[in-house]
Amino acid sequence: MIWRRFKENARVVLAAFELTVKQSFTDSFVLFGILVQPLIIAILGIWMLKERGGDYGIFVVVGSGMTGLWTNLVFMSGNSITEERWTGTLEFLVAQPTPIQWVIFGKNLASVLQSLLSMLGSYVLAALIFNLSLEMAHPFYFAISLILGVISFICFGLVIAPVFVMNPSVQRWQNSMEYPIYILCGFLFPIALLPGWTTPLSYLLSPYWAAHALHGASSGTLTFSEFALSWFMMLLFSAIYLVISQKLFRVMLRKARIDATLIGQ
Amino acid sequence: MNIIEVDHLKRIFKANIGIIRRKTKEVIAVDDISFEINPGELFGLLGPNGAGKTTTVKMLTTLLIPTSGTARIFDKDIVKDADDIRSQIGFIFGGERGLYWRLSGIDNLRYFATLYHVEPEVSKKRIPYLLELVGLSDRGKEKVEGYSRGMKQRLHIARTLLHDPEVLFLDEPTIGLDPVGARETRQVIRDLQEEKKTILLTTHYMFEADALCNRIAVINHGKIIALDTPEALKGHVQDLSVIEVEVYGVPPDTVERLKSFPFVDLVSVEDRDQKQALRVHSARGSEIIPDLLSALDGIRVGRVSVHEPTLEDAYVRLVGAAT
Repeated sequence: MIWRRFKENARVVLAAFELTVKQSFTDSFVLFGILVQPLIIAILGIWMLKERGGDYGIFVVVGSGMTGLWTNLVFMSGNSITEERWTGTLEFLVAQPTPIQWVIFGKNLASVLQSLLSMLGSYVLAALIFNLSLEMAHPFYFAISLILGVISFICFGLVIAPVFVMNPSVQRWQNSMEYPIYILCGFLFPIALLPGWTTPLSYLLSPYWAAHALHGASSGTLTFSEFALSWFMMLLFSAIYLVISQKLFRVMLRKARIDATLIGQ
Repeated sequence: MNIIEVDHLKRIFKANIGIIRRKTKEVIAVDDISFEINPGELFGLLGPNGAGKTTTVKMLTTLLIPTSGTARIFDKDIVKDADDIRSQIGFIFGGERGLYWRLSGIDNLRYFATLYHVEPEVSKKRIPYLLELVGLSDRGKEKVEGYSRGMKQRLHIARTLLHDPEVLFLDEPTIGLDPVGARETRQVIRDLQEEKKTILLTTHYMFEADALCNRIAVINHGKIIALDTPEALKGHVQDLSVIEVEVYGVPPDTVERLKSFPFVDLVSVEDRDQKQALRVHSARGSEIIPDLLSALDGIRVGRVSVHEPTLEDAYVRLVGAAT
């Protein structure tokens, strides 16, 4: 029974993944978020940090790649639900037997993996066009950090999604969710530059730990115990986000069925 | 045992109005309705726009939570047991929405089959069968954005049959279709009826309800005002004949004057392109034609005919009496 349910839900995740990939490669707005915007940020980053010398190239590649990852996640998490609402498919997703969380998990997985193209694009830009040195200090740690980072980003997206299911007007706040995370998570500059009171906020966000570990693996500035702490925090926060999202989905879906917000007029 | 049992179901929508002094306005969409649907029955919910048909279907398909009252499908409560009900029902809403336009028809069906936990081996056979059933076999690989409205509607029917549900909710499935598309859709519904599916059909096309439904509930302003077989509903106007007069631009005051005649039971006007069909219900039949024509003096009049009352006449009488 459990195995059958696992297989069914895994198939739903894959189907949602496939659908999202097919849809996004025909959506110029999504392609802009994945490919063009991170390159613009990378060019700005290279231009701003070049005077500092050192290994800034790999810092920019990782940082701009993460901005693409976050932008794509927040916009696809939100926009895909908004789009489902406007096209009338949200009702069908809610009224089918698979919990909608699995569908959104598949969508988030697709958007995060597609976003890794941002990092690849920034890498190619920095290496070939700007001819920067892009040596990776700890490639193995980088790979582990990237996998855990992907998981933590997906789980973070699952916390955001139910809010979009319940309330169509949340989309207005989407843009304002983009830059605070760039800044608080230290994607493009260390959080030590921010006022001290913001640090606890950064520690509560799993993308911060992902950025911390990825930048550390590329520059070689972290010890193994610091890596271990970042990986543990990513896993811990992913688990916490999953629990929160489960509860949020339950509450928000019920509220959407009471307030009749599953359909866009 | 009844498959669907609706007991004093009510749904109120709340809307905020005003900017500075915000007030909450309540609209009663469905007002204390009760009915049952038997296994294999095709049950019609007939009513004008805004009568509460779609709201009723949305509550029964677990998309809306009722304000009060209960409804059970397969003896399961639509609020508490929503997850159990969802795998056993299928539903469509009239119109073009609810499909992924940038994907092909087959891709849409594959996706929804997975969501409904249809085994891949089963869906491999079922999808071509359903495309054949709805007449889309040769267009399945094309993107939905290139489909006509009728094709999208038929794809919806295929989608809702993927998991072979026992109960179907068809909310205005022929709305906006051309006559050929509507006829094909009605034939699919007839086929489903022959397969002993239990169907709740909402429509405001009288002839469609008359031709398809075993029983019909007439709903107006959220209330069920009549519930019976089509034949029994027509019995409400059996004592009357209907005189239909083609007119070109009948003014409202003339219609009001006709209504005041003692021998006239009911008057309705239906727009038909350049002309209108003036339908006058009367127990005196063709005797009243001279009086009618003199009342229409000065207005261009076309064909005049007398016929037996239809379900539409019964509906007009029922809805007219309730308003």
